[in-house]
Amino acid sequence: MSNEKQKTGSVLVVGGGIGGMQAASDLSEAGFRVYLVEEGPAIGGRMSQLDKTFPTNDCAMCIMGPRLVEVGNSLNIKLLTNSEITRVEGYPGNFKVEVLRHPRYVNEERCTGCGTCTEACLTRNRPYFEAVEPPVRLDPKDEERVTGIINTYQAKKEYLLAILQDVQAEYNYLPEDVLRYIANRLNLPVSSAYSLATYYTAFSLTPKGRHIINICLGTACHVRGVDRIVERLERDLSISCGETTQDLAFTLEGVRCLGCCSLSPVMTINGKTYGNLTQDGASKIIERIWKEDQ
Amino acid sequence: MKIQGIDDLKRIREDGRKKLLPPEGKIVVGMATCGLATGSGDVFSALCEEREKQGLKMIVGKTGCLGFCQVEPTVEVRTSQGERNIYQAMTPEKVASLVAELTSGNMPSKGLLGRITEDGQTEIGFYSKQNRLVSANCGLIDPEGIEEYIATGGYAALYSVISGMTPEQVIEEIRVSGLRGRGGGGFPTGRKWETTRQAPGEPRYVICNADEGDPGAYMDRSLLEGNPHSVLEGMIIGAYAIGSSEGYVYVRNEYPLAVKNVNIAVEQARGYGLLGRDIMGSGFDFDVKVVRGGGAFVCGEETALIASIEGKIGEPRPKYIFPAEKGLWDRPTNLNNVETWANVPLIIEKGADWYTKIGTKNSKGTKIFSLVGKINNTGLIEVPMGITLREIIFDIGGGIPNKRKFKAVQTGGPSGGCITEKHLDLPVDFDELTKVGSMMGSGGMIVMDDRTCMVDMARYFMGFLKEESCGKCVPCREGVVRIYEILSDICAGKGKPADIELLGELSAVIKKAALCGLGNTAPNPILSTIRYFQDEYEAHIKDKKCPAGVCKELTTFTINAEACTGCMLCAKHCPTEAIAGEKKKPHIIDQVKCIKCGVCFDSCKFNAVEIR
Repeated sequence: MSNEKQKTGSVLVVGGGIGGMQAASDLSEAGFRVYLVEEGPAIGGRMSQLDKTFPTNDCAMCIMGPRLVEVGNSLNIKLLTNSEITRVEGYPGNFKVEVLRHPRYVNEERCTGCGTCTEACLTRNRPYFEAVEPPVRLDPKDEERVTGIINTYQAKKEYLLAILQDVQAEYNYLPEDVLRYIANRLNLPVSSAYSLATYYTAFSLTPKGRHIINICLGTACHVRGVDRIVERLERDLSISCGETTQDLAFTLEGVRCLGCCSLSPVMTINGKTYGNLTQDGASKIIERIWKEDQ
Repeated sequence: MKIQGIDDLKRIREDGRKKLLPPEGKIVVGMATCGLATGSGDVFSALCEEREKQGLKMIVGKTGCLGFCQVEPTVEVRTSQGERNIYQAMTPEKVASLVAELTSGNMPSKGLLGRITEDGQTEIGFYSKQNRLVSANCGLIDPEGIEEYIATGGYAALYSVISGMTPEQVIEEIRVSGLRGRGGGGFPTGRKWETTRQAPGEPRYVICNADEGDPGAYMDRSLLEGNPHSVLEGMIIGAYAIGSSEGYVYVRNEYPLAVKNVNIAVEQARGYGLLGRDIMGSGFDFDVKVVRGGGAFVCGEETALIASIEGKIGEPRPKYIFPAEKGLWDRPTNLNNVETWANVPLIIEKGADWYTKIGTKNSKGTKIFSLVGKINNTGLIEVPMGITLREIIFDIGGGIPNKRKFKAVQTGGPSGGCITEKHLDLPVDFDELTKVGSMMGSGGMIVMDDRTCMVDMARYFMGFLKEESCGKCVPCREGVVRIYEILSDICAGKGKPADIELLGELSAVIKKAALCGLGNTAPNPILSTIRYFQDEYEAHIKDKKCPAGVCKELTTFTINAEACTGCMLCAKHCPTEAIAGEKKKPHIIDQVKCIKCGVCFDSCKFNAVEIR
């Protein structure tokens, strides 16, 4: 027990960007021993690449310079560049962190930073490559399905949205490896596929139920009391709106207007529209579908 | 067959007439989404079956939506002369007797809603004050058959444009007609076309905005489902005028039938050479692609829509440079709403002079509204600009159900505002609605009675916009959420006296500082409800009461012992067993167990459940 409470009194800051440097110098001022771990060969981060900063148009170096010096001079800060964290264990207040320091091939104690070595270096102009993502492999059945969809759109980047829509319809969700595979095939970063997948409500990154209940939350439905019906379905299915039941039978989703306002309140289940709902009526429809499933 | 000239068009028109008005007569079923939702699919198959069984000669066909959604599913019996008998609320069970009477040569009177004569006269009250021009063919023609559209005069406007008008003349005609964008902004269409035409850069694009996200409006869906060719014809004429050879239709994916019908229409138009290379032998090329939306409200905003077509996330950009100059792929792009495009063939066919005679000084033509909410006759109505709200709500809409009192009508969707009884005689057009703090929007009209809480309404719209804000600019992303929180507090009885003032302040900032139309208009629902219903806000904040009995935390359900007959219906329906009582004796609601779901209120046949 007593061991659990023991605090080491030192702090590890991950990343030597402007935020990391500021945190490190604040902490060292407060009397902590600080380890500042940075993946790159030098601290400074993104800000060292900037000219001016928003919103005051201050020069980036003028903001960053004093912090560089402070971190470098402070005896309380141990700087670990070219390093990465491989393991963290322990509990708040007493962590043990394993740091892998990559070799620099330069004796840091004796280096004065004169730069002569870079001038003499034969390969100094070698461009720095971003790590290339290894190609994603799908199992052959999936690959066939996905390739079919991609090919209907001639594997063109501008059809990414349409491709994802078809994949969503095919799989009921967007599996991660499929998303990576598509990005790969279209020569796009995964992030752009991911940003579409999370931006549009049509997509889901988790599997959806066999029966997808889309309940309309449009104005006309709201005025005619759809909220109470949603609450009722949430109680019946023991999930909240946007979730899927554990047995993957139902997904309950709210949509912004199905365009059937004259029949409000409205929901669709697997594309079939049900209008003029009441609490009991909606509940019975779900029950009927559930029974048919059994 | 490719249509090469007027003779080909005339030949197809004759073919189409035979389909539209066959000599045997025709039975058509309204099979748009709202019809299908009420079971018109079953009615259709029952009709086909009975026709076969009883040996009826009349042809059975499909059509779009007649607009009168309240009485769906509708079946129309059309005589060879073109008289239309509309039957309401059909079911598969009613089909047999209808077919039996028709087979013996009578026109059944049971279930008849009314007649529309061949020249369009009708005694049906719902249609009496309407002027159905753009939606005239919805519910008349088969949306999956281009021939029927051509039979009603379709693609004649396109022919007259490419055979005898210069692009400048077309633009001039549209400009003189005074057509304004029907999507909500009300920007003069002719001017937009002219700017796009004059902007440097090739190729130019035309886009049809069918991302109808406004909750409470569905006229674009109905047009695309019921008469997609009118939209395509408008686009082809527009492309000719602007000098474009490539177009896009951006449709919501939530409208599967609209997507299907547009795709069919595009294929058919290609088949007849109305899309593609060398349209009608004129040397003019134009083709259309259909793009499905991903379900983001903000994609109705033009720059966001363009980004979405490019396969990016649908975030708007600041409009220092309009899409007319740099739009899709940085090329001049003209974007119009579905209804705007559908107006174009009409104007060309009948002339700008004819068009300017309809409507008010600065708003010409007709507008389709979706009349929904607490109203007797819900549906899509097309009325001339300048009609009063009173005529719309009481003459066409038939007033408020259950003899409740009219409270307000919400127009313009989440960007619009509420209009009260005081302004019922206001002529409806772009400028008048803006004057009273609302807007035309895409044409949703949600009628509210005294059981609608205005604070809850404002909260609803903020909840909507909070979800739909794309998050690019801070005022909208943060401000709308803060407003939503304040309104939620007010609805939960935690409102503070200074809240109304704070809401006003926040609204002013968002209005000024937001990036796109969504943010600029986001505070409208609050500003207009505060303007007209400040007393309701104060009742929530000071008295901790919701006068309409909507806000859950501020209401209690009780049973009036004198009115209760002890039928036990409410106790049976109560999901939490909060209602206790013996048979034929007054029941009591346990307030601790009550979750205020309102089932007891809905199920009570004696009005014994009271909301306070």
